[in-house]
Amino acid sequence: MRILVCAKQVRDTQAHVSIDQSGERVIVDPSAPSRMNKYDEHALEAALSVKDSLPETVVDVVCVGPSEWAPLIKRALGMGADNGIHIIADDDEYVSPWATASRIASFAMDRGYDLILTGVMSEDMMNCLTGPTVAELLALPYATSCVLVRLDVSRQVVYVEREIEGGLRDCLELRLPALLTVQSGINKPRYPTLSNMMRASRQTLETIDSASIPGPEHTEVLVGLGYPGKIGSGIVLEGSRQEKAVKLLQILREKSLLV
Amino acid sequence: MEKSIVLICEHANGKVSPVTYEIAAFAHELQRLSNGSLIAVVLGEHVQQAAGEIAAATGIDVLGLQIPGLENYSGEIFRDVVSEELPPLDPGYVCIAGTSQGLDFGPSLAVRLRACCISGVERIEDKSGQVVFSRAIHGGKIHANLASAARTTVLIVQPGAFRPMSAGSVKPGSISLKIMDRGSSLTRSIGLKRMQSGGSALAEARVIVSVGRGIGKKENLEIVRRLARMFPRVAVGASRPLCDIGWLDYSQQVGQTGATVTPDLYFACGISGAPQHLAGMRGSKFIVAVNTDPNAAIFNMADVCVVEDVVGFVSDLLKESDGSSEMADKSSPANEAIRP
Repeated sequence: MRILVCAKQVRDTQAHVSIDQSGERVIVDPSAPSRMNKYDEHALEAALSVKDSLPETVVDVVCVGPSEWAPLIKRALGMGADNGIHIIADDDEYVSPWATASRIASFAMDRGYDLILTGVMSEDMMNCLTGPTVAELLALPYATSCVLVRLDVSRQVVYVEREIEGGLRDCLELRLPALLTVQSGINKPRYPTLSNMMRASRQTLETIDSASIPGPEHTEVLVGLGYPGKIGSGIVLEGSRQEKAVKLLQILREKSLLV
Repeated sequence: MEKSIVLICEHANGKVSPVTYEIAAFAHELQRLSNGSLIAVVLGEHVQQAAGEIAAATGIDVLGLQIPGLENYSGEIFRDVVSEELPPLDPGYVCIAGTSQGLDFGPSLAVRLRACCISGVERIEDKSGQVVFSRAIHGGKIHANLASAARTTVLIVQPGAFRPMSAGSVKPGSISLKIMDRGSSLTRSIGLKRMQSGGSALAEARVIVSVGRGIGKKENLEIVRRLARMFPRVAVGASRPLCDIGWLDYSQQVGQTGATVTPDLYFACGISGAPQHLAGMRGSKFIVAVNTDPNAAIFNMADVCVVEDVVGFVSDLLKESDGSSEMADKSSPANEAIRP
């Protein structure tokens, strides 16, 4: 079984973010830690748990992003992935998810993966597009937002349960090769082990220059960034914490919302 | 010829899903900015009833694609059928709801139509002759404004972002039905599975005290439960991360794939306000939000914003409330009488 996991790096979501003077770039508080997109981490864990039960499985991790993201791939190797591929893209401007998907698809095209896993979305851009776009570019069957994944190697199928609205799950079986996007809550990602981290530090990553991969013809263009407008009446309570508590109680009482 | 604006409708068990009317409202708004005739497409095993309802309520012409055996959603069949049926309609835009269906088939439909795809659309406006679509990034703290450079654009619209079109007195749209024989070869649908009762306690509650990651530690849930006891007909809800780590049950999850709630008061404790969460609670009548991050997206929707640590603030609130209820107990009977 050959599995490819697509992962990206994000900055901690609690970090302060602002828009730069050009109005086209997001500035994230530089002190905020970087880590793997949590949904991709769940995808990696799903791949590694296949490897746990089928030891001949090979798990590759591909990442499209700037050179600074290499430690993320090393960490994935530390968690137990076999090989790391870094498609280096030092894009300074808006990157369409279609461009990212094209880069991944062009890499994965001839590699004979049985299963491609990635997160349902990235925590920063929240597009939910990269996974299904990769699948379509590779003409693979796919399922999104999977909360359960069970491989049946003898039948060459994968059974998945997709999370849908109203507390329901959509259950289906896909013929391999296939692509799945993974939702949070599916598993608990493991920590890197010392022995794997030692191996990772000696291992070279396969690097590909994204400029060698043709991008999509027509995509969306970024016109600018902005702060969202307020929808609620949005009174911001001022004063000490205690004063705010008193004010809120008064508001709730006026609205007859308390017992 | 003028390009069309196509909307893909959702329906289940013979009923049109409410989100379809949000997409209809969005499509009308898009039509005002870009022209083009509207066509609604509805597909499934039985579509006649849904097609009739949509045509009557929106005045939009409906194309019903009846596919024997397509009892539930199938991504494979949706992609195949829609990508075949749309090119003759020459769509400039294809509007799809950002639900578990739309986000599933929409992106690959875009690839097949050689269209550009923008998801999570929350707003649309004309900026010097260019139609611009806004979507949330970075947990909703920032919006990206995007324009399409493609002939066809697939727009996946954020549920809850547009007010549903209300049924007015419109001239009903025309209905054309087409029966298509389609199957799937690479995927096999096994059916739907119910995981939980769908948050009935949340649905009936007048007040929802909801808790997110800002609560910090599991022990701190107790103080939120004590806060909840201040309110009548109250239920405790949660954002997804708390359910993922097992602190609260998935039946308590508020959001796009959890419960959609509309209480009189939604008290958000340490919730950042990701679009998926907002989709489930934006219909709340009054929203109080407590969060340490002044830029948290929840504050854009809140009626009362408290920039404080949840645990500290709620402790103060409980203390003040105890104090004032003691005072109320000592007050005159007349004062008691006006209490419900």
